[in-house]
Amino acid sequence: MMLFSEARGLPVLTLTEAEEVGALRSLTVDAVSGVVTHVRVRGRHSRRETVLAWGALHAIGPDAVLVRTTAEPAEVPPHHELPGLRILTETGDTLGAVQDVAFEPETGRIEAVVTAHGDLPADRLLGLGDYALVVRAA
Amino acid sequence: MNELLAARSLTTLPVVTLGGDAVAQVKDTVFDPAAGRVTGFTLSGRGLLSGPLKRSLPWSAVHALGPHAVMIRDALALQDPSTVVARREAQQGRVLHAKVLTDEGAEVGTVLDVIVEGGASGRVVGFRIAAAKALMQGSRRRRHRVYVPRGETLAVSGRALVIPADATRYVADDLPAFVARVGAFQAGQEGTAS
Repeated sequence: MMLFSEARGLPVLTLTEAEEVGALRSLTVDAVSGVVTHVRVRGRHSRRETVLAWGALHAIGPDAVLVRTTAEPAEVPPHHELPGLRILTETGDTLGAVQDVAFEPETGRIEAVVTAHGDLPADRLLGLGDYALVVRAA
Repeated sequence: MNELLAARSLTTLPVVTLGGDAVAQVKDTVFDPAAGRVTGFTLSGRGLLSGPLKRSLPWSAVHALGPHAVMIRDALALQDPSTVVARREAQQGRVLHAKVLTDEGAEVGTVLDVIVEGGASGRVVGFRIAAAKALMQGSRRRRHRVYVPRGETLAVSGRALVIPADATRYVADDLPAFVARVGAFQAGQEGTAS
């Protein structure tokens, strides 16, 4: 288990050349399937953001992320930054904001969304948009 | 019972899809007073400078009404305004500022706001009224604003609506107290019916 806050800032290196591409900026989540689909990497010098599909990653370790390729995928879904986003239940009530997200670094599967009111298991996630993360009412 | 909400407080509430996108905000709540239900919402765009939206939201497309958002399945729920507005022009003017009478002929006050039940029912459970003197004996110092439950049978005609006389025994001063009173009132009505 790993938290988004722990993954953020990890150096991203290519597996074959051990060349440092940049630092991990954010993780893009598909709320319906409950997995991390893409990661965003900010270049060390250029500050340009690169999007990598989850499949391009070789491993997310405690100290670094290793990638097989730095080629950007053809289609990039819109990114919604989860930490800090407001949470709404499907009944229109608020559950505060996302503090952190726990995920499996091996598979990219979301385990729970951490909030001030406790953890929300991934199977309660319904949708993720520009305004809110929508979750099933308990 | 679901949370109770004052219709006027719904204005500016965001309309959010289950996918998490805010597509509009509530401009006005439209009622069918005879049926005691919300028929839908007129909308405006989100943001400071956005005006009215040429779309409306019929109640049938609402997933749930909550204190922080009106949830809809997706943006396809928004419809041509005529489905909601036609009713609004015919009836909304009749609810706000309408006279409230009991079925015994006493004037209770005038309607300031409509209290609806959150969730998926869209039921009107009562009214916030400017109380007439008959209802608030001994408090002539200031105009009293109170909440009264609506009876299951509600007559609306012209500029007045009629509630059961019994309902005036369940008046509350604020919304949290009103939640308990509505429960007691409904329990009492079921008791007399059987």
